[in-house]
Amino acid sequence: MECHQPRDTTIDPVKFALSVHGTQDCATCHTEGFDKFPHTSTRANMPDCIDCHSGPATPPIDFDKIAAGVKASVHVKMVDPAFRCTNCHSPHSFIPASRMTDASEAILAANKPCLGCHAAGKTPAAQQIAFRNLAEKHKVFPHWELHIQRNACIACHTPRGQEDVHLILPKSQALRDCAACHGKNSLLATKLYTHLALKERSERGWANAILFNNAYLTGATRNRWLDWAALGLAVLTVLGVAAHGLGRILFAGFRRSL
Amino acid sequence: MKDTSGYPLWLRCWHWSNAVLFVTLLITGVSLHFSKPARSLGFRGDTLLHNTAGILLTLFYCLFLYGNFRLGNGRYYKIVTGDIEPGLIRQARYYLWGIFVGQPHPYPHSHERKFNPLQKLFYLVVMYVLFPILVVTGWVLLFPDQLPGEVLGVPGIGLWALAHTYTGFFLSLFMVVHIYLGTTGTTLGALFHFMLFGEAEPVAASPVRTPALGDRPNMQTTVPKEHS
Repeated sequence: MECHQPRDTTIDPVKFALSVHGTQDCATCHTEGFDKFPHTSTRANMPDCIDCHSGPATPPIDFDKIAAGVKASVHVKMVDPAFRCTNCHSPHSFIPASRMTDASEAILAANKPCLGCHAAGKTPAAQQIAFRNLAEKHKVFPHWELHIQRNACIACHTPRGQEDVHLILPKSQALRDCAACHGKNSLLATKLYTHLALKERSERGWANAILFNNAYLTGATRNRWLDWAALGLAVLTVLGVAAHGLGRILFAGFRRSL
Repeated sequence: MKDTSGYPLWLRCWHWSNAVLFVTLLITGVSLHFSKPARSLGFRGDTLLHNTAGILLTLFYCLFLYGNFRLGNGRYYKIVTGDIEPGLIRQARYYLWGIFVGQPHPYPHSHERKFNPLQKLFYLVVMYVLFPILVVTGWVLLFPDQLPGEVLGVPGIGLWALAHTYTGFFLSLFMVVHIYLGTTGTTLGALFHFMLFGEAEPVAASPVRTPALGDRPNMQTTVPKEHS
């Protein structure tokens, strides 16, 4: 880092220090071709994440499963067979979602790599236009701008019913069922907070509380105690009305005798 | 003939349009709240129907307000002397006991009085407090991007949605009781008929004893006692 700070334009030392690899020595990954300047190493010579993060030694994240997901994704199949983790995740600034406490932070972080290619532009203004064009392809949603701004791309563009967020699907297979998110066991909970959602689901049977604390989502943000109280009140009302009507029927004979 | 019954055509049209829209909103609202994948209409269809019905309900609410403030219907909602004390107690006593034993209705329908005191109080709360809350919160939720992201530590949309959902819920409970009390006319269907077709001749302090559920339609009537 002697050369790379403080004027560095490629690696931000602060971001790197805060990242998941902040405690690692540069040479842990940058092994060959970095002893001289200019560096002779190419990207292909660099180790990939899976070279370290593999096998049973890296719970709770199953990197082998992630690698399998990437391999089956549209990125490998249709873009680049040599697609690597670092195409999306910068090893110099990556912070896993499990370290984020806020949904919007997790969404921004999750979308950033997607927008880096799919809303690319040389200037911020060009990026803005590219983002607008991308967003307009999502007009199928009501409040589509909100959906794009406050939702993770991977929520709809990865297989439903799986926590895997790396198996990016072709756009023809993107999720279009609103209730998949707007419902009990909203997939957003599992896509954005996989680690917490799994725990919550095993403890409570469904996994929406984590969403409830961070965002409102029609159909998904439900408090079961309020729902039960409302049901109880509705039943009491119907029973009260029925009992009153029954009373009127039972007293009919008495009234006729007047 | 001029309709002097207190149920002119515009009011009846408003009432039934309101009823159809409210039931539509209730069904789609419940469907949205408990949404599940692959429902018959689906989340998108429910949303479209709910939003459309909500906008129409607002227009009909404007008609209701116009009718009340400009066409004279509002006079039936004014609290008058005796409505609270002894009106509420007397009417509650009638519903809890008098209606069973054939006592006369303490506040029979007349030109001056369309609603009994309890009914008036409920209608006031429903139409001038709960209904506006439902309409305003519904409109706010049509523009979620304009809402603050967070209010008092909870999602901004959440507060409006909570108010909207449970105001709608309480209004739905009101509707259940409202429909049931519609059976407490001179016959089970009399008030429904009345609300559908209006009233040809005004009924002034009807001497007919208010019968109740289970009475024979052609029963003998009795003259009510005077209330002190």
